[in-house]
Amino acid sequence: MVTLNHKRREAVFRAIADPTRRDILGLLRGRKCSVGEIAANFRSSRPAISKHIRLLRSVGLVVTKREGTARICRLNAEPLRDISNWLSDYESLWGESLRSLKRYVEEE
Amino acid sequence: MSGTVANDAIVAEITIKAPAERIFEALTNPAQRVKWWGLKGRFETTEVESDLRVGGRWAMHGNGMGGKPFSVVGTYRIVEPPRVLAFTWLPSWDEEASETLVRFDLSEQGGVTTVRLTHSGFASAGSRARHQGWPQILSWLHGYVES
Repeated sequence: MVTLNHKRREAVFRAIADPTRRDILGLLRGRKCSVGEIAANFRSSRPAISKHIRLLRSVGLVVTKREGTARICRLNAEPLRDISNWLSDYESLWGESLRSLKRYVEEE
Repeated sequence: MSGTVANDAIVAEITIKAPAERIFEALTNPAQRVKWWGLKGRFETTEVESDLRVGGRWAMHGNGMGGKPFSVVGTYRIVEPPRVLAFTWLPSWDEEASETLVRFDLSEQGGVTTVRLTHSGFASAGSRARHQGWPQILSWLHGYVES
């Protein structure tokens, strides 16, 4: 099973467990946005959205860059790879176990 | 047999030519479970303990990759033979893991049983995923990797 980087992975899990943060990532999927543009899509206050963005940045899912007075955010999906690998580990565990259960029950 | 990710759950399904009672027994009897549960070379089960009642504890021990020992412990949540079995799942190899839920649904028709496994609760430790979920999250990744 995957054991590497579990702390980082848990942080990514926590980051994407929040629906607002998932919405922010969804917004950034197609294009870069300033913090203000992102905040305009939500009812929450701008400081609250900034806090979400900081958290996403801390786990590497969002990368920010200063352009003039605006802070431009873009999506970096790379940290999701850990989660994808971890999920496929479980998928193979359950897949293999069920096939094994089938053999065990049908062949005895 | 297929394995997919739906919402925040891993779902796998298989059809077995046996009555549901027989499969429920293989799922819950420790002496039987140790014979089939696991993944060769990566997740080999050597011992299973089981107190089969709601609230009862279960545990499995074995050898993972490179022979490294592992344990998974949990509590039975639903025990409805021969149709539903659900238990919590807490692996030892992941210090920060929170408990997730594994559920087996068995439906028998004419001596053939469909076994559906749902492993859920991964993204719900803090707040339960209300919309989107794994397919969306993984599509971001695929979009990223393919672009």
